[in-house]
Amino acid sequence: MNSSLLAALSRIVGRQWVRHRRAELVTYAMDGLPTHESLPGVVVIPGSPEQVREIIRLLHVVRVPFVARGAGTGLSGGALADPDAVLIALTRLNRILRVDPLQRRAVVQPGVVNARLSEAVLPFGLHYVPDPSSQAACTVGGNVAENAGGPHCLKYGVTTNHIVALEVALPDGSSIRLGSLHGEPWGPDLVGLFVGSEGMFGIATEITVRLERIPQSVRTMLADFSTVRAASEAVSSIIAAGIVPAALEMMDRACVAAVEASIYAAGYPTDAAAVLLVELDGQSDAVEAETALVRDILTERGARAVRTASTPADRARLWQGRKKAFGAMGRIAPDLAVQDAVVPRSALPAIMDQIDGIRLEYGLTISNVFHAGDGNLHPNISFDRRDSAVIARVRSACRDIMAACVAVGGSITGEHGVGNDKLDYMPWIFDAETLGAMRAVRRAFDPTELANPGKVVPVHACREWTAVKSTRTPTLRSGHS
Amino acid sequence: MSSGPYAALDPCVHCGFCLPACPTYLVTADEGHSPRGRIVLMRALERGEMSGHDAALVEYLDACLGCRGCEPVCPSGVGYGRGLEAAREQLLSQRGLSPLARSVLGVFRYRALWRSVFALARGLRATRLPSLLSGPGRMRFGMGMLAASAEMRERVEWSARQRGSGTAGHELGSRDDLAADQTRRPAAPPTVALFRGCVMDLLFSHVHAATRRTLEVNGYRVLDLPDQMCCGALHEHAGDRESARALASANVEALAGRADFVVVNSAGCGALLKDYGHLVGTPESSTLAASVRDVSELLAEKGPRPGAPLDIDVAYDAPCHLQHAQRVHEAPLAMLRAIPALRLQLLPGSDRCCGSAGIYSVLRPRMARKVLESKIADVEAASPRPDLVVTGNPGCIMQIGAGLRAAKLPVRVAHPVELLDLSYQNAGFYEVKGE
Ligand SMILES: Cc1cc2nc3c(=O)[nH]c(=O)nc-3n(C[C@H](O)[C@H](O)[C@H](O)COP(=O)(O)OP(=O)(O)OC[C@H]3O[C@@H](n4cnc5c(N)ncnc54)[C@H](O)[C@@H]3O)c2cc1C
Ligand code: SF4
Ligand code: SF4
Repeated sequence: MNSSLLAALSRIVGRQWVRHRRAELVTYAMDGLPTHESLPGVVVIPGSPEQVREIIRLLHVVRVPFVARGAGTGLSGGALADPDAVLIALTRLNRILRVDPLQRRAVVQPGVVNARLSEAVLPFGLHYVPDPSSQAACTVGGNVAENAGGPHCLKYGVTTNHIVALEVALPDGSSIRLGSLHGEPWGPDLVGLFVGSEGMFGIATEITVRLERIPQSVRTMLADFSTVRAASEAVSSIIAAGIVPAALEMMDRACVAAVEASIYAAGYPTDAAAVLLVELDGQSDAVEAETALVRDILTERGARAVRTASTPADRARLWQGRKKAFGAMGRIAPDLAVQDAVVPRSALPAIMDQIDGIRLEYGLTISNVFHAGDGNLHPNISFDRRDSAVIARVRSACRDIMAACVAVGGSITGEHGVGNDKLDYMPWIFDAETLGAMRAVRRAFDPTELANPGKVVPVHACREWTAVKSTRTPTLRSGHS
Repeated sequence: MSSGPYAALDPCVHCGFCLPACPTYLVTADEGHSPRGRIVLMRALERGEMSGHDAALVEYLDACLGCRGCEPVCPSGVGYGRGLEAAREQLLSQRGLSPLARSVLGVFRYRALWRSVFALARGLRATRLPSLLSGPGRMRFGMGMLAASAEMRERVEWSARQRGSGTAGHELGSRDDLAADQTRRPAAPPTVALFRGCVMDLLFSHVHAATRRTLEVNGYRVLDLPDQMCCGALHEHAGDRESARALASANVEALAGRADFVVVNSAGCGALLKDYGHLVGTPESSTLAASVRDVSELLAEKGPRPGAPLDIDVAYDAPCHLQHAQRVHEAPLAMLRAIPALRLQLLPGSDRCCGSAGIYSVLRPRMARKVLESKIADVEAASPRPDLVVTGNPGCIMQIGAGLRAAKLPVRVAHPVELLDLSYQNAGFYEVKGE
């Protein structure tokens, strides 16, 4: 980065908030997916939305690209910037500006950590629903950009269902307001368009979220099965019965073993082939009735045992194991290839069998943990990259798993986004025209393509891509979700 | 991937769960001041991709408090503390110590030196000037720290109203004042050697006295062993392992095989003493390390015996080197709960570092003060506001105490064992039999 740009940035944010020495840049070279690495040209840490806009205005004038960064927990390399780009870290914008308990709204800056928001509104009996497993660290701005999901999004919807208004700094430095306290006032759902845009449409500088009342009654059930197929079928049966659990999560044997060996041991039965976590919430009597019904379905579908937790402490323990599952797997082998794919729920049992087949075929350790209720899979391959022979097998297995998911009508990402990691998969599921349309939308927001360039939508979206898709191999992703 | 001194960092998968637990990240919002960022730098240092002369790298690693708040939240079990130890040793060998650090650490290597420094400080404290002068500026903050080191009973008005009638009289605190209730002792009471330390021995001799008395009441026999040195923790944290090892060896010599337990009432010293096996590497050092206990652990083991009621609001603040380094959580709470009527609170952030961190607050006063600010704010916001904050480490007592004084809050700080001691005194446990 040239020194006049550094000087100009320093004038905006103050010298101590401009990072350009190598050691400083190195700490910003990765997000939650450490297989991708890129040194940004410079990192700026603005202290106000106005500073964000000023930075972007400056960069627009000199035509230098920029990338937003929240907590850097993303799992698709989205928050990485190239040496010719400026990384704008939003972590200082961490104020909760207003809480309106009557209207159940909160206005926050983008750097507010997800879990802090729920803590802050707890005294009003409210919470912010979307709860990615990374909620202790990730930011609401990052959640908006990735349209993050979480275990409790099955019943209540993902991030996009909980954002009512946004203040956005557009890639030319101008500022717009999208939505309103009560949702989109007229016309197209621009808030919905921005949520999930992975930093391509500008930077969210202020976010108005919907809060929900903490449910009166909550029951968490743990059921264990002797086959993965039986557990998968139980999931389908619960949904088919018209019940919408608050959460419906599955872990297989390998995953349970890892959790139980960690400090987050939750008392899951380690000899089960799969365990299901089912959470029901709502009015007490309805929850009681549904609990009985779900218990019957689980037993009917072959559950060996069903445990019910109702005290907050017991429930927290059951959840702790699930939420820290990926970290716990880090203890088995030093590397973890995390997949994020979605399949139609009805295809779950079949896809689980296929994944098991792939596991056997390549002789790998694959553990599955996922949001079973909405068919969002995270098959994870544990390996040690010091063993060079294993890497080729891991790559092939990743590709086969993703291809299998796409073949049954699934998608290449459920919640972790495309970023730069899954760029190559895009032509698997979108044809050239669709990719072209996506690029056109992007250009409507960002004609000069300065915001998070080179990510999400493949730049060379042309017809040949569909032809080469069968020969392309998906990139290997490692890290955890 | 490595198997050397940095191996403990290997499991890091860069997930970021440790970010919100790191006090320096919380006040700077900068990745380089986070555990995850520092791990990236330490790995670069290990692989030789960056040098110990890189100013930015050194700044980030020096700014780490070493509080290890990042360890318990890490799902992968990264041993941050071990990695930091290796990095600081490597940095020291490449660039040496700063002149300020060198002179501070030099003092703690020689008993005669630290004794005279602390004796002077104690003399100054006795004039009550530090208490009068304490305030927010750098100099006045230092005065506040010194004032905060005084015995609880000299600082806390309510202690008078807590006192039962007729028990206030006799002289406390001298070494042979151990007239605990003899009849409660089992046939052969376990013996405990008191680790004296440096700052504890001179500025906190009242805590040593309280430790002796409360342990005796709970059936331990406390021994006073000569020839002890400073524990070496300050040197160890600065990467000066050679000095740390020399001091540790002297302590192993002085203490090994002499008692069933070594009791420590300073969390920072206790953490290193428990690690002497790793530091010194001899069988005696490992055996000694295994016998080290925080005073709260020994007391909790015995209940401890309840004393007289103290009708006060007390906030417990966990010293990092007790909860993260020694993984002792419950014992201090159990000890405080043995005091009838006492209302115990755990304030938000009570598990977060106060910024004291050994000589950190001397070397990096600006960051230390920023880290302290949020703790003071938590005390100020507490309802009911505590009468007293208790914490089992001298640095934390002085840092939080000075911070509260600077903020003009009428809340004082003490060592938890001082409270149990007061409760015992009010209960009449120390009255000499037949008196
Ligand atoms: C252990 C672990 C578990 C996870 N579990 C889940 C899960 O259950 N569900 C889930 O959905 N995800 C999960 N993730 C992924 C990740 O936490 C989410 O994608 C999260 O939303 C990222 O937030 P962040 O603040 O870390 O954003 P970053 O990683 O910093 O950035 C992510 C993207 O958002 C953009 N961005 C950031 N802030 C803004 C802004 N203000 N305006 C515009 N663009 C912005 C960046 O440019 C980047 O493209 C997990 C990650 C980890 C490490
Ligand atoms: S929590 Fe542990 S694994 Fe995650 S970034 Fe921090 S040190 Fe690394
Ligand atoms: S030891 Fe403390 S200051 Fe250092 S990185 Fe860990 S949490 Fe942060």
